[in-house]
Amino acid sequence: MLAYLLMSGIATGALYAMMAIGLVLVYRSTGHINFSHGELFMFGGFIAYTFFVILGVPYFLSLILAVIGGFVLGILSDRAVYRPLIKAPPLTMVLATVGFSFFLKGIARYFWGSMEGGDYVAFPAAMDPSPIPIGSIMVFPQQLLILAGAIVFVVGFTIFFRMTRAGKMMQATSENPTAAYLSGIRVERVYTLTWGAGSAIAAAAAVLMAPMTLLSPDVGFQLLLKAFAATVLGGLGSMPGAIVGGLLVGILESLGGGYVHSGVQDVSAFIVIIIVLILRPAGIFGVRNIRDT
Amino acid sequence: MLQIEHLSVWYDVTEVIRDVSLEVPSNSIVALMGGNGAGKSTILNTLSGLLQPRHGTITIDDIPMANFHPQDMVKAGVVQVPQGRFVWPGMSVQDNLLLGASIRSRKEKHAIRKDMDDVFQMFPILHERRKGLAANLSGGEQQMLAIGRALMARPRLLLMDEPSHGLSPLMVEKMVVAIRQLHERGLTILLVEQNVGVAAAVSEHAYILANGEIEFSAVGSTLADNPDILRSYLGGSRDDGSSMEPPSTGA
Ligand SMILES: Nc1ncnc2c1ncn2[C@@H]1O[C@H](COP(=O)(O)OP(=O)(O)O)[C@@H](O)[C@H]1O
Ligand SMILES: [Mg+2]
Repeated sequence: MLAYLLMSGIATGALYAMMAIGLVLVYRSTGHINFSHGELFMFGGFIAYTFFVILGVPYFLSLILAVIGGFVLGILSDRAVYRPLIKAPPLTMVLATVGFSFFLKGIARYFWGSMEGGDYVAFPAAMDPSPIPIGSIMVFPQQLLILAGAIVFVVGFTIFFRMTRAGKMMQATSENPTAAYLSGIRVERVYTLTWGAGSAIAAAAAVLMAPMTLLSPDVGFQLLLKAFAATVLGGLGSMPGAIVGGLLVGILESLGGGYVHSGVQDVSAFIVIIIVLILRPAGIFGVRNIRDT
Repeated sequence: MLQIEHLSVWYDVTEVIRDVSLEVPSNSIVALMGGNGAGKSTILNTLSGLLQPRHGTITIDDIPMANFHPQDMVKAGVVQVPQGRFVWPGMSVQDNLLLGASIRSRKEKHAIRKDMDDVFQMFPILHERRKGLAANLSGGEQQMLAIGRALMARPRLLLMDEPSHGLSPLMVEKMVVAIRQLHERGLTILLVEQNVGVAAAVSEHAYILANGEIEFSAVGSTLADNPDILRSYLGGSRDDGSSMEPPSTGA
């Protein structure tokens, strides 16, 4: 039982970690929480649904197409929401990203909402769904796929950040945008890339998760909350923190749901977060001042 | 090289730079001095495209610049070494330098390498620390890194904002040597300084700014010889213009 709960907690946690990475990426670069991040996730899932279920494209190709679609959507959200408001106060950005999330939900409901009668659509399994034994525990292939996918994306992201010029420009911009401007970096383009990358990784998480759950236009908010919990737990603004935080939230939920009560599943993570924040207000990996002014 | 005419810059409702005209001839070092809040950084930031002037013209090599983006200025060869060691602390010394060459094409890889070697030759400590994080450098070393990073863009005109600020006397001496070296390599420099010793040691011409207006302009050597001018314009308690200590400054 414990091993099973841990396994499913880690798989879900890996998805939360991916979501949290996108959130942290945008936060570190722009200083704003993207409240439409959950809807970018949802939209990525529906893009994959369109290719995979409606058009019959193979799962992996649908995954890649959804990631590309997510990237484009992120760029559009930068152009539509962030760029025009780049100098606006934080609250304006909150309202704008919340507004954008409703916009995405509306579009999703219009195109995919009544596809299968209700608001929910089922995303078929990507592979043979029967669990396979690993040692003494039974593991769902999709869980392994989630883990593998999460590792590929996290490693790929890290390499992108550390090794490529564009990745380094992103880091430089997030550490000190003025110095970036003065070095001739096109800071606005870096922001665009940041929104795109955050959204792309959210789409990837959605496509990995969808076969294990149902997809609906309203699924985003819950994911945003979990990702937000993960980032707060890990120390808002820390990448390793986002990953550890995501895994912790996933595991805590799974254990809470399995051992205490299924109703605890959704709140157990938050209870622990409250405790962590009381004991360690800056989070596990937290730095107090992330952005120098 | 650089000509500013009747420049006025506003922050919202306050006019911070009023009708400033100044000139930086090619291959010269011009000092721009003045107390805290006089508007020195504002002038440099306007030149760098971080702020838009309300009135006035900025001319580089007889070409008027209008509505320019910071990148345009870097491309035009005007690069700022900002005040307060604006390096990227979480990145390696080497990456800080490489990103200084952001405007240059990847095809220039070899030339960029060579320029980095030149920076290392000028500041050997940066070579020693090239793999370490910029955050772990001392204040003086970060200032060197900021200068090195600016050089990576191949500037013709360097805008330096208080490079000696907060440095130990020994480091200040090194900074003076470095500025002279840059000049010998053919760079034109607009040097913002509160340390009269530094300004007088390197510059041929100086402007003194007070409340956003040019109050005085002089040839560098007379500055150090004339403590009265310094006292009245810089407001410091200095008796001796040759002191290398910067005046007490706020953040
Ligand atoms: N972002 C800003 N908003 C409003 N006023 C500013 C801002 N930055 C600087 N100032 C004001 O502009 C004036 C000139 O500042 P600055 O150019 O930084 O002076 P200096 O570099 O000579 O010390 C000061 O009075 C300062 O308070
Ligand atoms: Mg200043």
